[in-house]
Amino acid sequence: MEFEFFVDNALHRISLEKKEDGFEITDGETRLTADIQTVSANGLSVVVAGRASLVYIARDQDKTYVSIAGQQFILQEPGREGKGFHGADEKTQQGALIVTAPMPGKVIKIAVAEQEAVRKNQTLAIVEAMKMENEIKSSLDGFVKSIFVSEGELVDSEKPLIELVAKKETGAPAASGSGRP
Amino acid sequence: MFKKILIANRGEIAVRVIKACREMGIPTVAVYSEADRKSLHVQMADETVPIGPAPAIDSYLNMDRIIAAARSTGAEAIHPGYGFLAENSDFARRCEKEKVVFIGPNSDALELVGDKVRARRAMEKAGIPIIPGMKSIAKEFSEYRSAAGGLGYPVMIKASAGGGGKGMRIVSSEAELGPALEAGRREAMSAFGDESVYLEKYIEAPRHVEFQVLADNEGNTVHLFERECSIQRRHQKIIEESPSRALDSELRTKMGETAKKVMRTARYNNAGTVEFLLDQNKNFYFLEVNARLQVEHPVTEFCTGIDLVHQQIRIAAGERLSLVQSDLKQRGHAIECRIYAEDPTRQFLPSSGKILFLKEPQGPGIRHDCGIYSGWDVPIYYDPILAKLVVWAEDRESACLRMLAALDDYVILGISTCINFLKEIIGHPEFRAGRTNTGFIKNHFENWQDKEKSGEKLRLALTAAAYQAMNSGTAVRKAATGAVRETASPWQSLGHWRLGEGR
Repeated sequence: MEFEFFVDNALHRISLEKKEDGFEITDGETRLTADIQTVSANGLSVVVAGRASLVYIARDQDKTYVSIAGQQFILQEPGREGKGFHGADEKTQQGALIVTAPMPGKVIKIAVAEQEAVRKNQTLAIVEAMKMENEIKSSLDGFVKSIFVSEGELVDSEKPLIELVAKKETGAPAASGSGRP
Repeated sequence: MFKKILIANRGEIAVRVIKACREMGIPTVAVYSEADRKSLHVQMADETVPIGPAPAIDSYLNMDRIIAAARSTGAEAIHPGYGFLAENSDFARRCEKEKVVFIGPNSDALELVGDKVRARRAMEKAGIPIIPGMKSIAKEFSEYRSAAGGLGYPVMIKASAGGGGKGMRIVSSEAELGPALEAGRREAMSAFGDESVYLEKYIEAPRHVEFQVLADNEGNTVHLFERECSIQRRHQKIIEESPSRALDSELRTKMGETAKKVMRTARYNNAGTVEFLLDQNKNFYFLEVNARLQVEHPVTEFCTGIDLVHQQIRIAAGERLSLVQSDLKQRGHAIECRIYAEDPTRQFLPSSGKILFLKEPQGPGIRHDCGIYSGWDVPIYYDPILAKLVVWAEDRESACLRMLAALDDYVILGISTCINFLKEIIGHPEFRAGRTNTGFIKNHFENWQDKEKSGEKLRLALTAAAYQAMNSGTAVRKAATGAVRETASPWQSLGHWRLGEGR
């Protein structure tokens, strides 16, 4: 059975088949046999060629969290569109850009108005979470098309805050910038 | 001794105080906001009182409700923990008036040291070395501008009522001053209910060295040596240790005696910390008094063998200090790592959500002070500190190795934490050499990214996730086609692998 997961935005494939003497893992060219045992509510003991690893695992919706000897992994199942892992907190569409909340928190300031021109790195809004203020900055030169939230509003992670439109002459949609401070 | 103590706090520090009370046989009262009904401190206390909505200003900072909770439960004393009302002299005064003992300094001392500007003036007068800065709070922007000009950029904005980095900003030019003042004031207001800020000369690459002091109600004062807290991000400590590599015994004695003098000058009682900046030429400057139990107090407890919360409670109950300076010794080396709910790869952005699984590290010389548990939702309303991992060993290098092993043994699944980042700091050669200063993270870890994940561990992680998906019977995307295939796993019926399924 084949599985796909995004880890840090990179797609990885692995195949796992149940056999008489354990599981057969196929990872690219590598083929291994593993003895996998559930040892606790969140613990798996995995033995590959005599090497034992204790793997901690928990799943929440489409994310699987794994910890192995102090290293953490977040494995994201591919979405419906077959698209990748949190494509960051901005979604672009033909030069328009939705700036979203980077974390759950409270909008304490909207620093721009609709139709206002903005410059790259200009502060658009301030979202406070856990008593720290986080400035949400523009990743492009353009103008504010719409504002979806108001000051004092509680927002969830990835909640759309502001829609920006890139300045015409740049042409290309600003896809790779970060809206984070 | 008190017959009942109310803890006016939440999270790991409330848990810490409850445990100390239990050891002393004192029943406890927890107070909690609407966001904290399921929090650990509420589960551990003997009695609980709800004190209002989630925002701290309506609950943990609401003096009326906390005093009423003490009244209704018959608590004789209130332990404020750190943060919230811990350094609020109005609250201490309210407690004095209501005849409830505030486990902390008297309100006059608290008012003096809590007003950083007044404190600096008083200390300067007493001959304590201080950093050049504004000696009063300005009203107009122009006053700040001219003060900053006089000090010379870079300057530091500090909250008068502050601590913990809240409201603090480095300003490197006049153009940044206006917005930075505005942000600093807002942060100060929301954290402390007081928007006063002042400016100070910014000293570059200093070490942050602080001294723990205990003073009883008669004025007997001892210091319990230093903690070095140079490893900071956003002006907030994340790793603390004791002893400091920068002090020799002569400087230690000199700074310790100065710390005691600071506390005597303020007529301070109970536990408190005197913070100093130590510059590259080993000059030290009084920074401020933290008039509370510090987050990093376990480091001192490990090295001195003294329980600071027990001492606080005994002093507040009117007992005479049983400790004598000449009897106090530092032994071995202790390091604390603060475990924050935050993402170090995203400018330490706070991360909230459900803790799907927690495994606390254990072993000789390992202490884990914690306010979380598997299945708990980390609320967005409060400071993102989740826990503190503290280790002790006979020397610094052994303590570093023990900390690294303990961090490897630490599992928190479901939210981002700084554990990987902490491991890299402890593993850094400059840290290991003891060459630390408050710019350490900026200098060595700017734009830090987690190492690219590859190799054997990644394969194991993929295998485990695949195994989990296979056994949970939920939709799995098949490779290549991108089509969704429902897996009706034959092993589904064999085990009880139902954990971690979508909520």
